[in-house]
Amino acid sequence: MKHRKLPLVTLTLVTLFLAGMAFAQTDPGVQGGSRGTGAPLASVASDAGLTSFFTDGQKRFQDVESVKGSPNGNNGLGPRFNSNSCVSCHSQPAIGGTGPAVNPQFAFAGSSIAPADSRPFFITQNGPTREARFPFFFNSDGSANTNNPNGGVEDLFTVTRRTDAGSCSLQQPSFNAAAAANNLIFRIPTPTFGAGLMENLDDSTLLNNQVNNLNNNFGISGTFNHNGNDGTISRFGWKAQNKSLHIFAGEAYNVEMGISNLVFQQDRPLPGEDGNGGSGGTGLPANCLNLTGTGYPEDTSNPDSTPNAAVLDDVSAFANFMRLLAPPPPSTTTPGGSASIARGRADFIAIGCATCHNPTPGNTQPSNITAGLGSAPVNSFSDIEIHHMGTGLADNVGQGGAGGDQFRTAPLWGLGQRIFLLHDGRTTNLITAINAHDSNGSEAELATDLFQSLSASQQQDVLNFLRSL
Amino acid sequence: MHPRFLRSSLAFAFCISSAAWGQSAGPQNAPQNGGDFSNATQPTTKVPKDVILVKGAWASASDSVTPIPESGNIVNNVYTNQYFGLTYPLPQDWYQKFQGPPPSDNGRYVLAQFRPTDTFKGAVRGSVLVTAQDMFFTQMPAANALELINYSKDHLPADYQVELPPEETKVAGRSFTFFAYWSPATELHWYVLATQIRCHTVQLAVISRDTKLLEKLVLDMNRMKLPLEAGPTAGTGGGAVPVCIKDFAQGENVLERVDAVLTERRFNSIPVRIIIDKEGKVKHIHFLSAFPEQEKAITDALKQWKFRPLLKDGQPVEVETGIIFGRVPRPVMAPQSNPVSE
Repeated sequence: MKHRKLPLVTLTLVTLFLAGMAFAQTDPGVQGGSRGTGAPLASVASDAGLTSFFTDGQKRFQDVESVKGSPNGNNGLGPRFNSNSCVSCHSQPAIGGTGPAVNPQFAFAGSSIAPADSRPFFITQNGPTREARFPFFFNSDGSANTNNPNGGVEDLFTVTRRTDAGSCSLQQPSFNAAAAANNLIFRIPTPTFGAGLMENLDDSTLLNNQVNNLNNNFGISGTFNHNGNDGTISRFGWKAQNKSLHIFAGEAYNVEMGISNLVFQQDRPLPGEDGNGGSGGTGLPANCLNLTGTGYPEDTSNPDSTPNAAVLDDVSAFANFMRLLAPPPPSTTTPGGSASIARGRADFIAIGCATCHNPTPGNTQPSNITAGLGSAPVNSFSDIEIHHMGTGLADNVGQGGAGGDQFRTAPLWGLGQRIFLLHDGRTTNLITAINAHDSNGSEAELATDLFQSLSASQQQDVLNFLRSL
Repeated sequence: MHPRFLRSSLAFAFCISSAAWGQSAGPQNAPQNGGDFSNATQPTTKVPKDVILVKGAWASASDSVTPIPESGNIVNNVYTNQYFGLTYPLPQDWYQKFQGPPPSDNGRYVLAQFRPTDTFKGAVRGSVLVTAQDMFFTQMPAANALELINYSKDHLPADYQVELPPEETKVAGRSFTFFAYWSPATELHWYVLATQIRCHTVQLAVISRDTKLLEKLVLDMNRMKLPLEAGPTAGTGGGAVPVCIKDFAQGENVLERVDAVLTERRFNSIPVRIIIDKEGKVKHIHFLSAFPEQEKAITDALKQWKFRPLLKDGQPVEVETGIIFGRVPRPVMAPQSNPVSE
């Protein structure tokens, strides 16, 4: 009889084990297939003129830039840069999105793109596309000078020894030394689907949300970042430091690709190369300036071109493209089925996540661009406020009114098809990303704790819901 | 010229020339340490991990001795807040894993937050959130704890349902308003207890799917020690507590006033609590939220203010009040006419 018991016991244990597995919540992962993300707004698709602007911007978004001599006239790259095309960082799951599964930056160093450069240790083939920042300038002994905040982008690559870069010779920033001093942080690209809707939210809508959300029992109290020029609420970038899509595009073109433009007119040195941080620098060396030989700005409008869209400068074309992108359509059925997604949404709201990740912060103001941008709900899952996110996520970079631990509530629309999560792309796992909201000084501490208080099946519903977005 | 001197001069000139050449070539090929560059892969000091050094608008105080709301701590599993004169022995197998965020610019504090330890025996977890709302700076149309809780009940989002409307109760011998609601979606229940201390609404919210656990947690709160009911000298912590009066720092109460000069528009509200001594001078300044340069300018100004001493029973008493600098936050509705004071 004894030997007959063993299979029964084994079967029971296996059953229990499998049951345990079934109830252990898991991130459904990046959702495959096309949800139609990357399309223009419906009101754009039905308008030939706007469609021509959208497709022109979409094409320019994919252009690969050279320093000079490009047969297509795509010049101005560098002298320092993170990439040579918008789409290399904004392509997942469609043009305009966020970082792809295979990082194009991985192949730059040592190739014709950045022949003299070394690959920074944090750029991996299947890791996130990244920009790097040093929160503080270096002291002469290699330590971080905490009396001298930096926080600016330290471009990863240079044009040194490129065949189109003449005698310009630059050194990459000291990434290894910065890492050794704990003085290195990263940011990943933010997706731009639906960005035109976020841009067209009136400040009063956001302020009303803020006041209405004061009445919460989650310990959450956000504030806004503001544009220093006109004093209105700024809303793009990880710390809501950028006011508009034009500024967003112009800054990225200048900082990420080194291309001067109508918004940012100069070639950009590293933060310390401009004399900051005790370096004594006086800007980029003369033989690294005006590398195109055409003067500044390298990107400008083209008055003699046809059709109408071709007259625009690249930055305006990029901004139009992003502005006219439709928001990413959510799935009502995957992953997990519609019932689970609906339950997950209700749970997500009830445990306080929606206090910041507001499903619909409001409707846009009337639009003078296209009907689809006007009086439309913005289902962004973001209040566009900046919140204290605690020591676990803090990057010690201040931008405008946002301190080192304050971040804009990341919009969650399109989350189902994002690969890398959080501001620095530290994880691809949604559960890890949620738990990272929980650390000393975080406003999201209770909401995270309540997520962990849910049953395993409830947590799975929340995860399914998030990946349905 | 003496030939030897000439040779020396030439050698010196060559040396200078080399140095100059080296300097001009240096930044391109071998940048000096500093700025964005360093050759030191083993720096002697490192930026501390898990520390927020770049704080933005943050809380601060003019001295480190006077208790402030956010300075509570946990020793031997007892939460003590000297400012509110409150001690709360944590239930067994509960702890504070992480501290809350800094005070908000509308006077909201997360004083403490507790959760079960890994050795917790219950089948279902729970959370305890201890908050305070400075009633001088609230944007809510409420002048006290009861009104604030009533407002919460009246504006409960549609995702929740009221279980028990606000009612008066006693906890640890002190009057509280008790309010309960729940989320049908998650089956999470909120039991909320609120009381008024030093012109703050101090609120304890216990949250769980297990109502028996919540009842136990609320009963356990009878072990708290709290200050006496509101009065001029209420509060056992921090010695004699000042009288708190909303909007005291205006009109005839202010005998001498020097305006703070803020040199940059930062778009933020700067709520400041001050304690005025018996002679009418500002003895303590607590910034709930301010950028460092704002803090300095306002401190320099407030130290020059002079108030008419407040008399109680013919004797001067200390006064605690609040002032907002910078952006004045928009109230949810018209503020109550009755000023807050205890």
